[in-house]
Amino acid sequence: MFDAALLNIVVYLPLGGIALLLAAPAGQDAFVRRLTLGLMTLQLALVAWLYLRFDPTVAGLQFETRLPWIASWGVHYQIGLDGYNVLLVLMTAFLGPLVVAGAFTAIRKDVKLFYSMVLLIQFAMLGTFVAQDLFLFYVFWETMLIPMFLMIGIWGGERRIYATIKFFLYTAFGSILMLAAVIYLVLSLQSTTGITSFAFADLYRSQLPLDVQCILLAAFGLSFAIKVPMVPLHTWLPDAHVEAPTAGSVILAGVLLKMGTYGFMKLGFPLFPDATLAFTPAIMFLAVVSIVYGACVALVQTDIKKIIAYSSISHLGYVMLGLVSLNLYGIQGAVIQMVSHGLTAAGLFLMVGMIYERCHTRELADYGGLAKLLPVYSVFFAILTLASIGLPTTSGFTGEFLVLLGAFGAAWQQYELGSTLPLALASVAVSGVVLGALYMLWFAQRFLFGAAKAPHQPFGDLDLRERAILGIIVAAVFVLGLFPDEPMRKTELAAKQFQQLVGTSRTGVRAAGEPGRGPAASENGAPRFARAGTGSAP
Amino acid sequence: MTHALLPVLPEAVLLAAACTVLLLDLFLPPSRRHWSFWLTQATLLACAAITVATAELQPLHAFGGLVVDDMLSDFLKLLSCVAVSTMLFYSRGYLAVRGLFRGEVLVLTMLALLGMMVMISAASFLTLYLGLELLALCLYSMVAMHRTSNAASEAAMKYFVLGALASGMLLYGMSMVYGATGSLDIHRIARVIHAGQGNGTVLLFGLVFVVSGIAFKLGAVPYHMWVPDVYHGAPTAVTLLIGTAPKLAAFALTLRLLGVALAGLEFDWQGMLIVLSLLSMVLGNVTAIAQTNIKRMLAYSTIANMGFMLLGFLAANLAGYSAAMFYVVAYVLTSLASFGVVMLLAREGFEADRIEDFRGLNQRSPWWAFIMLLVMFSLAGVPPTLGFYAKFAVIEAAVGAGFIWLAVAAVLASLVGAFYYLRVVKVMYFEDAVDTTPIVARGDNRALLSANGLALLLFGILPQPLMGLCVVALAQSGFL
Amino acid sequence: MITAPALAHYLVLGAILFAIAMAGIFLNRKNVIILLMAIELMLLAVNMNFIAFSSFMDDMAGQVFVFFILTVAAAESAIGLAILVLLFRNVGTINVEDLDRLKG
Repeated sequence: MFDAALLNIVVYLPLGGIALLLAAPAGQDAFVRRLTLGLMTLQLALVAWLYLRFDPTVAGLQFETRLPWIASWGVHYQIGLDGYNVLLVLMTAFLGPLVVAGAFTAIRKDVKLFYSMVLLIQFAMLGTFVAQDLFLFYVFWETMLIPMFLMIGIWGGERRIYATIKFFLYTAFGSILMLAAVIYLVLSLQSTTGITSFAFADLYRSQLPLDVQCILLAAFGLSFAIKVPMVPLHTWLPDAHVEAPTAGSVILAGVLLKMGTYGFMKLGFPLFPDATLAFTPAIMFLAVVSIVYGACVALVQTDIKKIIAYSSISHLGYVMLGLVSLNLYGIQGAVIQMVSHGLTAAGLFLMVGMIYERCHTRELADYGGLAKLLPVYSVFFAILTLASIGLPTTSGFTGEFLVLLGAFGAAWQQYELGSTLPLALASVAVSGVVLGALYMLWFAQRFLFGAAKAPHQPFGDLDLRERAILGIIVAAVFVLGLFPDEPMRKTELAAKQFQQLVGTSRTGVRAAGEPGRGPAASENGAPRFARAGTGSAP
Repeated sequence: MTHALLPVLPEAVLLAAACTVLLLDLFLPPSRRHWSFWLTQATLLACAAITVATAELQPLHAFGGLVVDDMLSDFLKLLSCVAVSTMLFYSRGYLAVRGLFRGEVLVLTMLALLGMMVMISAASFLTLYLGLELLALCLYSMVAMHRTSNAASEAAMKYFVLGALASGMLLYGMSMVYGATGSLDIHRIARVIHAGQGNGTVLLFGLVFVVSGIAFKLGAVPYHMWVPDVYHGAPTAVTLLIGTAPKLAAFALTLRLLGVALAGLEFDWQGMLIVLSLLSMVLGNVTAIAQTNIKRMLAYSTIANMGFMLLGFLAANLAGYSAAMFYVVAYVLTSLASFGVVMLLAREGFEADRIEDFRGLNQRSPWWAFIMLLVMFSLAGVPPTLGFYAKFAVIEAAVGAGFIWLAVAAVLASLVGAFYYLRVVKVMYFEDAVDTTPIVARGDNRALLSANGLALLLFGILPQPLMGLCVVALAQSGFL
Repeated sequence: MITAPALAHYLVLGAILFAIAMAGIFLNRKNVIILLMAIELMLLAVNMNFIAFSSFMDDMAGQVFVFFILTVAAAESAIGLAILVLLFRNVGTINVEDLDRLKG
């Protein structure tokens, strides 16, 4: 009971913060910054407490709140933590104070409004993760859009208006189709079972024919795939990243992109298991294309923010690959990869912001030999680069390794059943690791080594605030890399539930809950993918 | 025991007060004009209070069945009073600066409200027509009120001709329905049609004209030509009046005619409404993109919004009607705030009616920029604003009734709509202010406009009370 | 031999009047006063319908309605002419084609 109240406090704390900020007298920028930082830190402390209290042996929701909200439509206000979201909530809360601290010197215009927007996004993101009712989820999901739109548009770079409108229209297009699908899904649940409910738990029991499932998954999937983003729906991302202020990029890369993969994991795949099965080769193909394409494009970029933006596309491709492998290694690897990418991409974007504040350019060609000019900066940069590549002992390794293990496990079973495509795709995905090492190392080499040059010299090395921010991120990267066991225990039951939900046909042809594939899927020519758990994760 | 005329007490009070203000204003020097204003406001408050106090769960009939007083009419009348009162608060400064703050405005506004109230509680073609004409005649003259403005007189002429044409079509349709069923009473007509006694061909012929007339009044495509010109040409205060409370009355008109009298021809009018709704949503939103004048843009937005309202309506069941009603109520609330902000920025010799006049509003006044942001997001249907729930409700009703492809078209149209609403937000927040004149307004206007804007957010977070009221009002009024 | 006209004859007359009025409104590009006349004609067509139905069905309600329509029509013309005068004073023309300030 107490913990459930605490979870609500965590979610609404940023809104209280906004009220405090608006009440603060004008011109008190230092106070506004410190207040926001304090609130975010408090939030992190509360989330850490909840994380420690989270019982990994309990399947399903913990710290649940369920209240009627819009009775006429059967909508409930239902939030809670489960294995799906617990790590992501922790990561979001973890990045909060870092985002705030990272913007201390960069944002000088409309400081109050800026931090209000940061708090509003934080509120909406946490709400999206903890929502357990589809309607509530959708409201939070859309609420994220407004502050991000304003953040890029007001504090962004030169082409900010173009970038932010593109961002808004892409995401709005996706979510509006999802809205239509949500309505259809709920109404069909109502007509088949008589329950009018938006609760995830009820929707997981819906029975839909395969063709309807495919259309609905396409509508949900489009919305999520735009957020991830998966090639070919990714074109908004480089623009948004390049034009956004550092804090915006960090939030975007750190958390917002995970909304897409989280959506697939929590909603898209488990709601429409038969359609997922039918689409698996296509999704796997797009995931691999994202991995390779993102890496290749990152290789030829000249803008350092764009390199990291395209690397995000590549890294999130792994997450998708892990999810569709549908075995425990792959799923848990995907979750770890989400968190790991959240940390490394956030760190890298913060570092780009720090150098931009000093030199006012993002052109890679303007830089060189920073190791001599900014030794401390370079050390941090090198560590984060290696973590992004996925060197063992860093979090990136755990994620990518498990994903590939899972993908190969699934592909091998397919190979034994006579399908070689998954194996080929998984092999191509491995090449992404090599490409990733190539572009990141080449980037680091040009950036950190060689003849020393950088515009607007002289400038000092990282100050205490910046060192603290990066130190915390690097520590987290190593903790997750060296001790992945503890977080994976928290997600294990959710991964199994995901596997079981997606592995159960719900076309209405066979009785609900019966394991194994219905005939409907194989009739459609979809390859039969391994469903059974292949053992517990390490 | 209740008196037989109790159901029309609000109308009686309003009429008496309108006459009083008309006379009183003759003897008042211009410096005492605020007496008339406050008397009008007191009347509106009294009407609202009487409406609430005399509200009963069961429908009451008066004047031999010409008038019905049910929960639906009480709810809509209450909202109309609130909307008109708010409109007067918003426009007071605007009208005073332009020398239009005269007794006639108050009287005509009150008489227009009387027309709306008669329309809302009409239970016969005769009362429907009289209410409609009273409303329309007041609005025609109010559009032309700014006597030296070319645009206003042209708008008034167009409004008059097309409005009269619409009334003519509606009347022609009504005469056919009368001929087919032998009655002017909407409930009796419904019974005759239900019993299958009406003359089918004549009835259908009448239905086409009735639907055309309604579409004219709502401003649905292809009967929308008057809307942009009138919104653009009329003084903003009158645009605000036209764009808000009469929509509630028009909804009541649609409901009484199609939902009650011609309910038996549901399958026939559904098809017509599908076309009207689809065309309105698509053309309204697409044309709005090209506008540079915000009043004109909001006019096309009205057209699109009426399309969305019809989307809910054509489901033709309780869920659909209540969704449509919720949509209209949400639209009226949003529309009030949108024109309220336009009038707030206007000053002597400056209308603030171009989108570029909103440039850098965030720098001039973060608060009003925020209110306008809420309005724009509510119109675009972005959660957590009220407009989202309204759109959700009508789309859900349409899907529930099996019009899935229409619902998909609606969501796509609303995406197109998001683009031009967003442009206003873009101009306000992302561009630098050119005009740095401070924004001045009376305290009551500012407080009310703030409350209005925040209501869009508040009802967005807690939509259940408003939604529930719409459902209860309709269910108690016999729409089950 | 002369037979009394049937209901259909009156309805056809009403329909013809209505059609002429519609044509007057939509085809007329010259003079606003013609529009006002067309509107009057349209209401008369409606009245014709109501009276015919009322008389053939022996129901007084239709004829009562006609009185109301006539009254409202008078008020309507008054306002229409007032707007017309205003328009002429401001714009200097009552040519329908010249009413093109507002567009978009």
